[in-house]
Formats: sequence, C-alpha cells, structure tokens
Amino acid sequence: MIRRGERQWMNLTVAVLYAFLLAPVVVVALAALNAGTYLRFPPQGLSFRWFVAFANSRTFTDSLRFSLELATIVTAAATVVGTMAALWVVRFAGRFRTTLRVLMIAPLAVPGILTGIALLIFFYGLGWQKTGLGGLVAGHMLICVPYVFLITTAVLIRFDRTLEEAARNLGAGPFQTFWRVTLPLIKGGIISGAVFAFVTSYDEFNISLLLSGVGSTPLPIELFDYLRFSFDPTAAVAGTISIAMALVVVLITQKLVGLESLYFGGG
Amino acid sequence: MASLQRGHRAAGRHLLIAPALATLVVLFVLPYLNLFMISLLTPSHQAPYLHVFTLENYLGLARDLLTWEVIGRTLWLGAVTTVICLAVSYPLAYHLARASHRLRGVLMIMVISPLLVGVLIRTYGWMILLQDTGLVNQFVNALGLRSLPLMYNTTGILIGLVHVFIPFMVLAIAGTIQSIDPALEFASRSLGAGAWRTFWRVVFPLSMPGVVAGTTLVFVLAISSYVIPSLLGGFTVLTVPLLVVRTVTELFNWPGGSAFAIIFFVVSLVVIWSYLRAMGRASRAVG
Repeated sequence: MIRRGERQWMNLTVAVLYAFLLAPVVVVALAALNAGTYLRFPPQGLSFRWFVAFANSRTFTDSLRFSLELATIVTAAATVVGTMAALWVVRFAGRFRTTLRVLMIAPLAVPGILTGIALLIFFYGLGWQKTGLGGLVAGHMLICVPYVFLITTAVLIRFDRTLEEAARNLGAGPFQTFWRVTLPLIKGGIISGAVFAFVTSYDEFNISLLLSGVGSTPLPIELFDYLRFSFDPTAAVAGTISIAMALVVVLITQKLVGLESLYFGGG
Repeated sequence: MASLQRGHRAAGRHLLIAPALATLVVLFVLPYLNLFMISLLTPSHQAPYLHVFTLENYLGLARDLLTWEVIGRTLWLGAVTTVICLAVSYPLAYHLARASHRLRGVLMIMVISPLLVGVLIRTYGWMILLQDTGLVNQFVNALGLRSLPLMYNTTGILIGLVHVFIPFMVLAIAGTIQSIDPALEFASRSLGAGAWRTFWRVVFPLSMPGVVAGTTLVFVLAISSYVIPSLLGGFTVLTVPLLVVRTVTELFNWPGGSAFAIIFFVVSLVVIWSYLRAMGRASRAVG
C-alpha cells in the first residue's frame, strides 16, 4: 500500500505540521514560565513571577472567577436542555429528525459576532439594558447546547435499546427504566458533553465581546483588552490555565466517549 | 382506554424538546428577526435608533465603496485561508484516518486540544512568535537577515486564520477518509499507479464529501473571525466583523451596523450556495 520511503516522507510532513499546530500553545506555556518579559531563545530561566503577578491582579482574578461562575451555570443548564433534546431527536422526532438536527446546530453556523449583536439589540428592545451575567448566560447557552446535543446524540445512537426493553419486560416503569438503566449507561456521553460545554463557555469570545459589561467581564475579554496594549506574560498565565483545562477535557472525553464521535463530515 | 393512555404518554415525551426549542426561538430566531427590523429603522444621536422606517441604511451602504472593499477583502481572506488550510490539513487527516487505533487516540488528542484552548490564547501565541522581536524573527536575525514583517498585516492574519481552523478541517476530512476502503488504494498501487496518482485519482475524489464539508465550515468560520484580524492585524486590516462591531459599539449606529451585517450575511450565503452547487455538479460529472 505505502512503500517504506513514502511512509517516512509522510511521517516527516505530518510531524512538521503537528509542530506548526502546537507551536503557539507551547510558546504561551513557555512564556508563562519564562523569567524574562520577552520570550527569547535560548530561554532565560524558569520563574513563577508571572503566576504571582496574575494572582495579584484584581482585574484578572475577578474575571477568572466570573468566567468560572458563568461557565458553571451555562454548563448545568446546557447539559439538561441538550440531553433532553438529544433524547427527543434520536427517539421521538420521527420525520422531523433532520430538520431538528440542523436547527439544533444552527447557532454554531452563524458568526458569533452577529449573534452577539443581535442579542444586544434584542435585549435592549425588551427594556433589559444592564444584561450582565444573565445576558451572558443566555448568549453562551446558544453555543453550548449544540455541543452537548452532538455528543449525547452520538452516544444515544449507539445505545442498545434491548436493555431498556428487558427492564420494561421485568416490570419497570418508563421513568424507572430511564433512571436505572439508560442514564448510567449514557452518563459518559453526558459528562463529555458537559465538560465540552464548560470549556466552550470559558473560552467564548465573540458573543461575550458584545454582552459583557462593567463587573461582568469574562476572562477572554479582559485578556483581549490587556493584549491590545501591553505585552507582558501575565496574560500567558491565563493561557496556561486554559491549556491545562483543554488537556483535562480532551483526556476525559477520550476516556469516556472516544473523540471519534466528533467527526464533522460524518464518518 | 389503552389508546388514551398511549396518547397521554406520547404528548409527555414531546416536552423533552420544549426547552431547546424555546431557547432557539427566544434567543436565536427572534433576535435575528429583530436585527433585520432594526436595519430598516433610522439611526439617531440621542438613542440607539428611531422608530422611523427607512431604506437609507442599505442604500447608503450599497453606494459606499468602502462597504464592498471590506466585504471583498473579507471574502478573499476567507477563500485563501480555506485553500491553505485544506492543503495543510489533508495530510494530517489522511495520516489520522489510516493510523492504528491506539495511535489515532493520541493524534486526536493533539488535534482537538488546540481547539479547546481557545482562539484568544492561540492568537496570543502567534503574537509572541510573529512579532518583530518575536521568536521567528530572532531566528531570522540569527541567520543574519533583517526581521520579516509577520504581524500587523495580512500575512499575520492569514497565518493565524489557517492555524486556528486546522482542527475543524482535519476532523471534517478524516471521517470521510476512514470510510474509504484501503483495498481501493492497494488495488491502484498494485496496478502500477504511483502514490501521487493514487491520491489524485482514487483517494481525493472519494474524500470529496468531507472536503466540501470542511472547506465550507472553515470558510464560514474564517470570514466571521474577529479576534485574529484585530490582534494579528492590529486593526490596520479591516474585515466585516471588525467594521460591524465598530459601527455598533463605537459609532452607536445600530441600524447601520445591522444593515451591514445583513448585507454580509446574504452575500456569504450566495457565495456558499454557489460553491455547494458547483461542487454538486462536479461530483455528478465524475460519479
């Protein structure tokens, strides 16, 4: 199929491309641990001074706390809404299945900036001007529910319904069956979806840009303002937190569900 | 009696989709409809908008050359990004799809982790790399050459855009390649075709559904990007998202910003629809 020399060329190309893909992320982690302000090669030394600077910055720690709070609320709501929707679409949708699938994913297909603007103007029209945390929860729900939906749907499609039938045959009611048979078996998918939703909300920029306000500024927006004018690696510390989170989420998803459920083009 | 009970149970089931539908209608459909309505109202200095109907927002924008210049530039950036991203991602997707099960797990982690780190952090990484005093130029200087201008211009934006969307392209294509029977490649090679020929005449055509999905997705994402043109372009290169946000949040011209957003939305839909039709026609010609 592939001859030895060709395989080595392929491996070399792929290695270079993966290096390109991971370079910025690695560089941010290095900058956070770098002793000097500017990342130089060879590195000037290891230091935690930027972590200290970050912890001392009221602006950054406040917005970090806010982002975590926001992400938690959004995750809880999106997991419930998304899982319920997934159950319906996979099992009870009938001829509406394709339409609903497209509709559920639609918010991901439109530019986040436009959605943010649409929401901003809509809330104003309703008389809600200082939208704060509520407005951000609403905006983030729109992009987090689709992820929960996608992952939970993938798990439900693979689910063996004969197990439920067996439970029903043995006398369990529908709710009892769901609670004691279905839910434990799909909880891997639900957890992966939840964890994905959490990170999506935590990282979200475009919608937050339009809906954030004084006292309700998520960390990415704070970072953006910071990066427009300064350059020291305090911002890189925030980056390392995101990187650590991303790795944890990916490992959890791989373990529970297998990352292949995320193929977009349809396997 | 039994059918009444069944009817009851069936109705209860449909409540499952209610919260999601409510979220979509109230937070997605209505705001976008509202956006369209606002684009037909008059801007004002005292309030975000006046309840006076006008088509001037659209007409004024259509007459202004800047509008079309910015739209054209944004679509061009999107197209170039998509092509380069495809070229870079395809080898990764092929390698991933043909990898052994265990290796694929590791590769998937490497492909998806950058996605979850977030655009802002990855763009910051590029800022550290591409600046005049950044890592890349330190290397260039060490070779005795002058610093390359890799940031605050179109080059920086393209590098950032291509990079950010690689995971999307890889995921879209890898799934399709995985469903191509390796025996077909084997047959082609055993009949004497070289690696390139096998790729162009066998693998690539069969992977077209994934390629179309990936390129469409990346194109849409690229033209919608705000963070990358603003940070890596330093606001010197104006794209539609930058201009729309500025119009709404700095100039407080909500009707104007909305009209521009909708013009862009429609133009993009036309471009994507034409692309998908052309792709559909091409695949029918081959198939």
